[in-house]
Amino acid sequence: MVEDQIQQLQSAALARIEGAGDLDALEQVRVDVLGRKGALAQFSLGKLPAEERKVAGKALNAAKQALENAFEIRQQAFAADALNTRLKHEWLDLTLPAPGPRPGSLHPVTIIQNEIEDLFTSLGFAVLDGPEVETEYHNFDALNIPAEHPARDMQDTFWLSNGHLLRTHTSPVQVRGMEKLGPPLRMIAPGRVFRNEEVDASHEHTFYQLEGMMVDRNVSVGHLIYFMKTLLSAIFHRDAVVRLRPGYFPFVEPGFELDIRCLICGGPGCSVCKQSGWVELMPCGLVHPNVLRMSGIDPDQWGGFAFGLGLTRLAMMRYGIDDIRLFASGDLRFLRQF
Amino acid sequence: MVPGLDTEPAELMRLITMRTAECEGLEQVGADTVIEVDNKSLTHRPDLWGHHGMAREVAAITHGKLRDPVRADLLPAGKGSIGIEIEDFALCPRYSALVFENVTVKPSPLWLQDRLGAIGLNAINNIVDVTNYVMAELAQPMHAFDSEKLHGPTIFVRNARAGEQIAALNEESYNLSPSNVVIADAQGPIALAGVIGGLHSAIGPDTKRIVLESANFQATKVRKTSVVLKLRTDASMRFEKSQDPLNTVRGLARAVELLNEVSPGIRLVGGVADSHGELKTPVPIELTVEWLKAKLGRDLDAREVRSILESLEFHVRETAAGYFLVTVPSWRATKDVSIKDDLLEEVGRMVGYESITPQAPLIESVVPPENASRKYLRRARDMATAQGFTEVYNYSFVTEEMAQAFHINPEEHVGVTNPIASGQTLLRASLLPAILKNIHDNSRHLSAFRLFEIGREIHARGRELPREIPHFAAAMYAREGDGRESLFELKRLAECLMEGAEVRLATARPFEHPERAAIIAWRGEDIGRLFELHPSLGIKGRAAILDLDLTTMEKLDVRESRYQPLRRFPVSAFDLTIVVGLREPSVNIQRRLVSAAGSDLVEIEFLREYTGAPLPSDRKSVTFRLTVGATDRTLSSEEVAAIRERVMAAVPV
Repeated sequence: MVEDQIQQLQSAALARIEGAGDLDALEQVRVDVLGRKGALAQFSLGKLPAEERKVAGKALNAAKQALENAFEIRQQAFAADALNTRLKHEWLDLTLPAPGPRPGSLHPVTIIQNEIEDLFTSLGFAVLDGPEVETEYHNFDALNIPAEHPARDMQDTFWLSNGHLLRTHTSPVQVRGMEKLGPPLRMIAPGRVFRNEEVDASHEHTFYQLEGMMVDRNVSVGHLIYFMKTLLSAIFHRDAVVRLRPGYFPFVEPGFELDIRCLICGGPGCSVCKQSGWVELMPCGLVHPNVLRMSGIDPDQWGGFAFGLGLTRLAMMRYGIDDIRLFASGDLRFLRQF
Repeated sequence: MVPGLDTEPAELMRLITMRTAECEGLEQVGADTVIEVDNKSLTHRPDLWGHHGMAREVAAITHGKLRDPVRADLLPAGKGSIGIEIEDFALCPRYSALVFENVTVKPSPLWLQDRLGAIGLNAINNIVDVTNYVMAELAQPMHAFDSEKLHGPTIFVRNARAGEQIAALNEESYNLSPSNVVIADAQGPIALAGVIGGLHSAIGPDTKRIVLESANFQATKVRKTSVVLKLRTDASMRFEKSQDPLNTVRGLARAVELLNEVSPGIRLVGGVADSHGELKTPVPIELTVEWLKAKLGRDLDAREVRSILESLEFHVRETAAGYFLVTVPSWRATKDVSIKDDLLEEVGRMVGYESITPQAPLIESVVPPENASRKYLRRARDMATAQGFTEVYNYSFVTEEMAQAFHINPEEHVGVTNPIASGQTLLRASLLPAILKNIHDNSRHLSAFRLFEIGREIHARGRELPREIPHFAAAMYAREGDGRESLFELKRLAECLMEGAEVRLATARPFEHPERAAIIAWRGEDIGRLFELHPSLGIKGRAAILDLDLTTMEKLDVRESRYQPLRRFPVSAFDLTIVVGLREPSVNIQRRLVSAAGSDLVEIEFLREYTGAPLPSDRKSVTFRLTVGATDRTLSSEEVAAIRERVMAAVPV
């Protein structure tokens, strides 16, 4: 009987599929049984009477189906084993350090400067640059500090072989700003400044300031306090308490020293504020009419305020840095902390 | 401190700080409390260089009454017994003097010694101490000459003559020039005007007769002389603030009273000798309450304004309601107060700035003009830190030796004429000397690191302002390894910082590794260098440096991108390996491949480089992958083969 033969073949093939030790053996079974020239294909049903042929054909198809299924299952089992084996060998120690560089750090003064630039830009101030080597005119004369003015003593100056000087403050950029933009204007100018001083833990010959200025129709001391309070509250992330007291700077009149309520003790007095409860933070004032006039602005029509912020000082306060010399040390053990 | 003042010293100090000038501390000296005031905060206030001026402030602050220590009635009438000749009233607006005889020189009484001691002045003898006391009290420097040591009956105030000298009280001798003003007798200089007296005519134990000088000198002249001679004295510090010419005779009157007390039996000889030019009367300043209110941003009452100004001894005339004509007292009129803005300060500080409410201004909302350079610099910093570089700030100064190590032409540098420390002789014309120092310093602690600086090179341009060129300098250091990684990391950084930057091999400069130096070019312009430091610079390990000129950075920030439609047809890729001479720059091969491939080339990618067997030792192979495709169809295999043939024909394979 053809059906019996088919049955026998199926049983034998199934046994071989079960018994195949690896993918290659299994493939051999597939070729032998299911292949184009395999055992199943060898069955020739053509000679059988139609009735029998129909039955045998069905049986043959059933056997083929069963073997294909068995083959599939066995093949998948092998694939799963192979995958498992591979994966097992791919154990990775993810506690190892990742290669490649870590991000470096920005200089602490850059960080502070970026923050303050962003604050002022959001308040409508332009950010301007000026040269580090300045003319005597822009650094002193145009700021109402003529030659022989005692205020020149307040700022020990590096004089240069070309007759110019290293700017002692960022204030000359006020002058350049007024010359360039004209009124009304709102500007800041951060940058490097120089004083010919001995260096120690709290004094540097090179440090960083941020100059600010607003010139408009009606500018009052009240506006100045408003901007300073807004700025400082944003920098220190809390409501800053400030006070103005008289201070002398020839390019402003009246001139002020702005103090901020000590951030360490909050008022009662500590070593940082020298027991006063206040820390001197920035010189400021209403722009002196002579300064406006020298930059071609009519002081009867326009007025303004100006201020200077010590970026180095601010960075020291923010990060608790007690030695100003570290800023220019180039020491990565320090700089990487920011 | 001031009898009759019922304010605690600490509170008084706070009030002075808030209304007048910064106080730095309190010190108990015997029965007195000394409040130390910051000199710098008095730069503009000649009157506050004497205690009477400070007392006036305190009276105004505390609404107290000011007592004047000067009794003008003590000044003798009649003609002076000594002549005074002033060459130029611009340099010496006034010279007043009194002559005394029957002088007894001895130590001052204790009260006088103590008071001088409390403010840091040494007691010398009764006569000199009185001059110092009057100076400290009235801000009027004085000087006493031993009259018997003077030659001739006249005191001259004149420019020094070339070659003249003076032996001063500090026992130093000074060579004078015509830019110095001296007090002279018939024989020569007896004092350096406004600075210091002469040794020869100094008061000694045997002095019997004195000339007491109370004069006024031009501020800038005194300052110049004291700067040039490096001689700052209590007198010069006061005169350089522009003292009041009307104060000279007040000083004499006060001295008469004190000398009578400390040198009993002393007698005046003649009246006040007094010579002066035209004494200017200050022009009244127009001031309105409305203007004050607008400037302060605070309400003000006309009566309040008036009372403040009058308490400071300004003369106030109200010409109409809220309109004032204000006359400045002589001791504030020399320089300090001349315009209404100065009066604004007087009113503002006395009402107290703390009484002003912060107020947002009513102004137009405008977007501020953009600063493209700064925007770029910020992006550059972020890019560098993202790639592991840490930012350093170096000084703008270099020394000759530092510059020499980098073979920078000395002519390029601007020099510093008055450095106070070594290491400050030149302004840097390159960031590299300091970067080298950074590498040295950090290599002592770290085995590998990356750092960068953005700063300005300063290049001399004769008498003009120098050219300040923004530079980006980065360094990578590794104690171990062959240095390859550092150079390629820096190259990648350069490409990130300047899109389209190209590297061209260059002849090494003496401080560069002779086989590892390149030029960085951007849009056809040389804008920087990439190199390994020459081992002779003493670095343990290897360091590579990238130095970029950022002059073009404003252009770099403008990155205009236009969307390109995505490719709709598949592309084909093939690899080519080319054997060339060992030192053939791969970029040259790539360029040839690109040009041979033509417009259908989508991408060319460097895969690898190989040296070693079986290649001869002077050859290397370089492998590229070329991807080709068209935008409007799929290239046929024949077309791809044709491109491949074309490309292969263009290079040695």
